[in-house]
Parts: sequence; structure tokens; C-alpha cells
Amino acid sequence: MGDMIRVEGVVKDYDARTRALDGVSLTIREGEWTAIMGPSGSGKTTLLNIMSCLDSPTEGRVVLAGTIVTGLAEKELTRFRCQNIGLIFQMYHLVPYLTALENVMLAQYYSGTVDEAQARRVLDEVGLGHRTGHVPAHLSGGEQQRVCIARALINAPRIIMADEPTGNLDAANGRRVLELIRKLKEDGHTVVMVTHSQNVAALADRVIELVDGKVVSDAASPGRTGAPAAAGAVSIS
Amino acid sequence: MFGRVLAKSLARRRSRVALAVLAVVMGASMASALLTTSYSMNEKLASEFRQFGANIMVLPRSETIDVGLPGMSLGSVTEQRYINESQLWNIKRIQNWSANVLGYAPFLYQVVSSRAGGSDRQLVLTGTYFDHAVPQVPMGDGGDWTTGLRTIAMYWEVSGGWVERDDDLTGAMVGTDVARKLGLLVGSPFEVNYTDPETKEVRSADLQVRGIVTTGGGEDSQIFVNLDVAQNLTARPDKVHTVQVSALCYQCPAEVIAREIQHVMPDVEAKTVRQLVNAETMIMMRLENMMGLVTAIALGASALGVMTTMTTSVIERRREIGLMKAIGSTNGSIGSLFTAEAAIIGVLGGVAGYIVGYFLAGLVGQSVFGSAVTLVPVVIPLTLGISVAVALLAAVIPVRRALRIEPAAVLRGD
Repeated sequence: MGDMIRVEGVVKDYDARTRALDGVSLTIREGEWTAIMGPSGSGKTTLLNIMSCLDSPTEGRVVLAGTIVTGLAEKELTRFRCQNIGLIFQMYHLVPYLTALENVMLAQYYSGTVDEAQARRVLDEVGLGHRTGHVPAHLSGGEQQRVCIARALINAPRIIMADEPTGNLDAANGRRVLELIRKLKEDGHTVVMVTHSQNVAALADRVIELVDGKVVSDAASPGRTGAPAAAGAVSIS
Repeated sequence: MFGRVLAKSLARRRSRVALAVLAVVMGASMASALLTTSYSMNEKLASEFRQFGANIMVLPRSETIDVGLPGMSLGSVTEQRYINESQLWNIKRIQNWSANVLGYAPFLYQVVSSRAGGSDRQLVLTGTYFDHAVPQVPMGDGGDWTTGLRTIAMYWEVSGGWVERDDDLTGAMVGTDVARKLGLLVGSPFEVNYTDPETKEVRSADLQVRGIVTTGGGEDSQIFVNLDVAQNLTARPDKVHTVQVSALCYQCPAEVIAREIQHVMPDVEAKTVRQLVNAETMIMMRLENMMGLVTAIALGASALGVMTTMTTSVIERRREIGLMKAIGSTNGSIGSLFTAEAAIIGVLGGVAGYIVGYFLAGLVGQSVFGSAVTLVPVVIPLTLGISVAVALLAAVIPVRRALRIEPAAVLRGD
């Protein structure tokens, strides 16, 4: 397996006094599930946003799937993100006036091809085949997060970036979402997941810990070094 | 998908969209009302101006001959010339603007005397048309076009009545000064005498007062009779001195009509009554400028309303816009979405504004001109175009604001 994500000496300053990332370097292999942990304000989400092409570093560079994305024009970055990266958010971020099906199709529309049957199939895969016509307000938090996962998958991206995917869910829904992410990894997707939870991180192949914008540890997850933990067996509360 | 997102986004924010549409309706209705009134008013004003008299004077082309001996000028004389009555119908058959010729009246003047209070009074007798049928200009209804003083001198105050028919050879309308001098009342008979300057023959005509005319002008001291009466009395068949033409000058300048008259009647000079024409033009220009200013202010207020509503909408939808950008939308797509929303608001506001404006114009027409305004088709696309343009213009700042939204910032909750 080759390198899918390479972050080289990335610095991110929001202003003269706020440095969110301070010389972060790391490499994530293709098909690897990586958890990024750290206390609040450690720079986890900033790092994820930079790796997701949603934000740009002040210094350093990012290489995704062999493409140096640092310095790409906004339009090219958008196209790259659309084709290669699926985003899962803690707050789901669904368009409130569109149905579950339309939210998934919206991502198709921006990538250039709308295929309703394919969108229905992916919603079915995440267990929402019977809820396609419901707007987000009529879906539970777990269901909304699964719509968000379906939307992330619809354009067949190679990389999945998940920011606290279970942060707003109860234990049962959290387990269901983690099970879906585990399947994504098994299908060959490279998964990067920001989490506060040690238990959730234990499901990943590898855990990177940030403190004050610096990588303080980078190791195989406890779940991998010891007995492998099934997603369903992990408590995420 | 674009249409679905657009329709649902508009439907979800019905009340806010309705507010923006209302703002456009306000400006569009003003524009529609003022445009409709302006178009109708120009026509009505032109017609009403025509009630104040003719605006083109037709005179025979005269030649001035210098008189004198070599080295000594004794001045110049102008030969008295006439216009042939038999050619006058050509005025209504000019090439391009015949429809704008509302009417004309010929005038043949002569000094006559009339006995009153034991002495002869010198008076001006004017032969003219009152309500003369012109067989060369047939109308669609099978009759002939009619013209004369009753068409071009609607401002005359007449007590009694008009001379009704061309073959009324005794009927006369006398000016109020003439009536006073001769002691005439409506229905009074009187006699006029004309002395031929060449033969010294005296010819008389027995007349009867049909009406007494008050204009405050030269007409008050004249006697008006049918043209035939004057021509027979003075033995000048087919001759007239001048012709006054009343032309509707809404879409064309009076000068153009005057030139066309000269073209069909080469022996005449047609001159516009410049003072009247200039005054008409000035009043119309001032009214249009005032209307333009009011419309501009109303449209400015509309644009402000739409801009405020759309800016609020962009602020409320920051997260949605950020999300769309995060999952692959380009600035072009976001811009198109908001521009399309603005265009729809403009169209809806324009249609409603046109309807409201039309009724508003009806009210103005009734209260100012006492008649309904006409439906002016060109106002519909004009109002729609103005409304959409205002809405799009108002959307520029909100759209730019939407394009500046950074997905990373809004998705993390900043």
C-alpha cells in the first residue's frame, strides 16, 4: 500500500497570536484508518480541514493521492475534494429543506452526474432505504448522520474525513455509524477520523495525538496492539 | 437538481421571499403606473393642447419685388397671393403623418361695412369652414372626414350655436365685440356690404347671428361665415388667405408635419406656431422628468428592500452555503443559485407590480384626465425588465457576501 496522505511541516496561523498547527508532519497509507486525538484547541479539526482541502496551511504542504494540493486554485481544490474526499461532520450539516435522497443527490450534482438510482442504493446500504423522502427535521440524529455518510460515499471517494462522527449520537447510533466506517475501511477507503473518545480511537489502525498544534504521539491503536476490537463491542459513551 | 434546490429553497423561505417580492412590487408598480400614465398622458396632453388651437399656419408662398430706379430704392411690394381651396384636402393626405392631422380651417378675410345706430361700421368678415365634409378623404364608416373651426377651435366660448351646415348661406357667428357694436343678439338679422376695390361695385349679404363667440383674441372683433359666402361676396371663388392646421404632436414634431404639407402643396409655406409647440414640449419634458425622478426613488427603495432581505437570507444560510462549497459547489453554482432567486423575485414582483401599477394609472387617469388610461403593451416588458434588473442589481452585494463564505469557518461554527 502506498502513501495516500502526506502532511509535510504544516503550520497554520489564524492570526499573529494564534498558531493552530505548529510544524505537523505525518504520512497515512492507503486503506489505513487513522484516529486523530487531542484536547480541545489542540488543532485536530484544523488539521482535518487542511487534509480535506477545506482550508490551506500557512506553511508546509499537503500531498493527497499523489497530488500536491497546497497552492491549487480554489476551483481546482473544489474539484479535487469533490472527486477524492468524502466528508462526515459531527453536526451532519444536511440541507434542511431537501429530503435525505436529495441531500445525497446534491453531492452527485456538484460532481457532475446525477443518478437517483445510485443515490437510493447508497442510502439503502446505510440502512435508510425506507427514509429517502424525509427531510432532516423528520430524521433522528443517527439517521441524519447516516445520510451524511451516504452523501460522503456517493461519489466513490478514496479518502473519508470524519470530524467527531459519533460526537452527537447516543451509544446505539454511535455503534451503528462506527460499524459503517469500519466497512468503509474494509472496502479500501482511507479513513481519517477526529475523535475525543479513546474507545472510538481504539477501533482505528493508528492513533495520532496532537497537543498545542504538535504531534505528540503517533502509534498503532490500543485495539490493534492488543486484541482487535469489533465496533459493536466498543462503548463510545 | 438546480431547479429542485431553487424551488425548495424559495418555498421554505416563503415569508422572506414574499417580503422581497413586495419590495419589488412597490417599485415596479410605480414604474408601471408612471410609464402607463406617461404614454397615455402624452397622447392625452397632446390632444388637450390641441383644444387651444392650431399649431401649424399655412400661408401662400409670397414673392417680394423690389421697386425703384437704378441707384434709388423705393422699397418693396408683396403681391397678394391666395391658396386654392380645391387643394386643401391634400393637407389630410400627407405622406407619413396624415393620421396626426386632426383638422384644418381655411380663412378668407375682407373688410365689410354694416349699418348700426345710423352709421356704417367697418368690420372684418372671415369666410371659413365650420364643419366641412371633405369627400377626397373618405372614412371607414362610409362617410367623409369633416374639418373646420369646430375641430380646431374647441376653446371658443360660444353662446347660441354654431353654423351647422356648409349650405347655410345666411348663418354667421359674430365676435362678442361685433355683437356689442352692432347691438346683435343670437338670432338677430343684419346686413354686410362689400365694395369691390376695382369695380367699386357694392355687394350685400343678409346674415343672421347663429352664435356669439368669445375668445379674448382677434376673433372677438370678426364675423365668421361659410367660406362660400365670403368668396361669393368678394368674387374670389376657390381662394383662401391662410389655413390653420391642428396636428397631434405626440410622436412627431410639428415641423415634420409642416414639411410634409409643403411637399404636397408646393405653393404654400407651412409654419409651426413655435411658441405653442415649444410650450407643449417643455411641459411634457418637465412632467416626464418629474415622473422619472419619482420612479427612480421608488426603484431605489425597492432595490434596498431586496438587498436587505437577500443579505439576511445569506447570513441565515451561511452554514448551508458553506456545506454546499464543502461538498463540491463552485462559486459559480452558489452565485447562480442566488442570482436565479433574485431573478424569480424580480419576475414575480414585476408581474404583480405591473398589475398594481395599471390600476394605479387608471386612478391617476380618472382623477387628472377624467378618462381611463389605455393598456400600453410595451409597458409590460419594460416593467418586467426594470424589476428583474433592480432585483439582480440588489443581489450583487449579498451574492458577493455568499461567495466570500469559507466552508471551514462556518462548518466549525465560527
